[in-house]
Amino acid sequence: MNAAPIGGAPTPAELYARMALIRDFERAAYRAYERNELQGTIHASIGQEGVAVGVVAALRAADKLLSHHRGHGHALAKGVDPSRLMAELFGRVDGVCGGKGGSMHITDVGCGFLGSLAVVGSSIPLALGVALSAQRAGEETVCAVFFGDGGVGQGVLYESMNLAAIWRLPVLFVCENNAYAITTPAAHTTAGPGIEERARAFGLAALRVDGQDVEQVAGATRTLAAQARAGQPGLLECLTYRFLGHSRSDPPHGRYRSREEVERWQGRDPLAVLAAQAELSAEACAQLEAAAQARVQEAVEFARASPRPDLHVLAQDVWG
Amino acid sequence: MSDPEAQLQVTYAEAIRCALQDAMDADPAIVLLGQDIAAGFPFGATRELAARYGAERVRDTPISEAASMGCAVGAAMTGTRTVVEVDFAGFLLLGLDQLVNNAAKLRYMSGGQLRVPLLVRVGQGPLGAFAAQHSQSQHAWLASVPGLALCAPSDPQDAYELLRWGLRRQDPVVFAEDMRLYRARGELVREPADSAAEIPRARVVRPGRDASAVCFGFGRTLALAAAQALAGEGVELEVLDLRLLAPLDGEAIARSARHTGRVLCLGDDPLLGGITATLAATVHEQAPGARVGRLGARHWPTPFGSAEAYVYPSAESVASAVRRLLGAPGEGAGEEIVNGEFRMAAS
Repeated sequence: MNAAPIGGAPTPAELYARMALIRDFERAAYRAYERNELQGTIHASIGQEGVAVGVVAALRAADKLLSHHRGHGHALAKGVDPSRLMAELFGRVDGVCGGKGGSMHITDVGCGFLGSLAVVGSSIPLALGVALSAQRAGEETVCAVFFGDGGVGQGVLYESMNLAAIWRLPVLFVCENNAYAITTPAAHTTAGPGIEERARAFGLAALRVDGQDVEQVAGATRTLAAQARAGQPGLLECLTYRFLGHSRSDPPHGRYRSREEVERWQGRDPLAVLAAQAELSAEACAQLEAAAQARVQEAVEFARASPRPDLHVLAQDVWG
Repeated sequence: MSDPEAQLQVTYAEAIRCALQDAMDADPAIVLLGQDIAAGFPFGATRELAARYGAERVRDTPISEAASMGCAVGAAMTGTRTVVEVDFAGFLLLGLDQLVNNAAKLRYMSGGQLRVPLLVRVGQGPLGAFAAQHSQSQHAWLASVPGLALCAPSDPQDAYELLRWGLRRQDPVVFAEDMRLYRARGELVREPADSAAEIPRARVVRPGRDASAVCFGFGRTLALAAAQALAGEGVELEVLDLRLLAPLDGEAIARSARHTGRVLCLGDDPLLGGITATLAATVHEQAPGARVGRLGARHWPTPFGSAEAYVYPSAESVASAVRRLLGAPGEGAGEEIVNGEFRMAAS
């Protein structure tokens, strides 16, 4: 089953359901990792679901997405099938990339999810080229590319904002500012007023929003995507927070974040914020969460049942 | 396109332009990206292409190698065949994340969903008095990256043919242009657009019975000059032009090695980790018993000015290395000649 991208004019319940799917998917992946069913590492986006779902909800199905190492949520928002995504995390042949990409390298071309890439900032300039192809073909599609506050330190971001502006490329740069590049606070690494202002200096349209408010993210994305389609690239900064550690080996708090800070942000859970704003009942939310859990359980079972790629599959797509 | 049978005397740079033009005529999806390419600066390989195809297909970029290379990768994976020009080897390093981490790996990592028909043209070797940062040889680095093909054309016809091949390929190609060849002249026969897409093989460009020079790029010019000098001494040197360094035509190397029994591996990068190490190992593995010599650059940054002649091989040093290969075998098996000096080969 291929999930559709969240989009069109989604209802609050649909937004909630997709965020709940991401939340439970990440939890299940984490548990699988703890059981040694999943190799490597894992970067969960719990706490940041409002950014992924809000951005994609405001895009069209034909629009393209690029992402980073913490990209499961973006993929699920864009409509990547949860079972095939989980199988990829498990390194199984029925994964979206045949089990050869793993958690940090997810691609599903059919969904317009062109890739999550693991080198910080590395996916940013690809968006220029994706947008250039669209521009040349006369398609009115936008390419949105996610990066974090850590990616703000990469020079290629500024080269890319410049090139997008001078070539009027339909690109939307999305900075998920979760306040820490692994352990390093963004405030320690970012001079001046921040990325939104830097983008304006390049002539981009730029907005800063509360990333815990999915409807606010969607609203700002709608504005910027429309401008991007008309040749005015933009940048959206979403202030958010990851509720877990950077990766499996990093605790949620105690080292570089205080318990108080983590709990303060957990009080701004994007699911709870939406439920309160849209007046979703506790019962309705519970039903949506149960449906998400059932879908994720199905995904885990699918992944477990799939074999690992054999040598023949591993040798494919090198030459020829 | 001009008459494919027409034979022209052109330079290496003009042959590259002819290949780009013939490919761009045939394939409207080809877009060029690079610094000063509309003006064709500095070697003239893209001159007049902007006038022919417009600024939409011949795109001058800012001095932003990472973004330009990344843009080319993103465009290539979504249906725009891109050619990136990087004038000098030193500048390539700024785009290497995009080339190595993305272009070379996306097809594999995506399980074959993405293809990246990107061709990167980059100057290699010494240019003459441009010193250490402009004059570098990166063949072994680039050849060792899984997912990249590496062309090292040796004359105008070869540059034309390999570029046309590279522009039909669906995966990334690095096109290593030896800067000493840009003004070299030769005949050019332009090919029809529908030529085969098979991987080009190495070529014996001069047959010989006494020793083989395995070479590429400007090395072919040196080897042919050395062969002429050696012929006067009664020595027939076979010259094998590899043309591609990745994939490497090991069969052709083994065939020549078995034929002559003595092989000089010629390159432009340092011997430690350089391409000649791989060539010599290929001979050892595939034609055991053949005597092997290596000639590459000194393990120095390229010095400024005419002093670069101390660093890179010359026709004289090639001839000298071949004479040593043919000489008394010294201590016998396992011997390897390195830059004209006998040393024991590492086993």
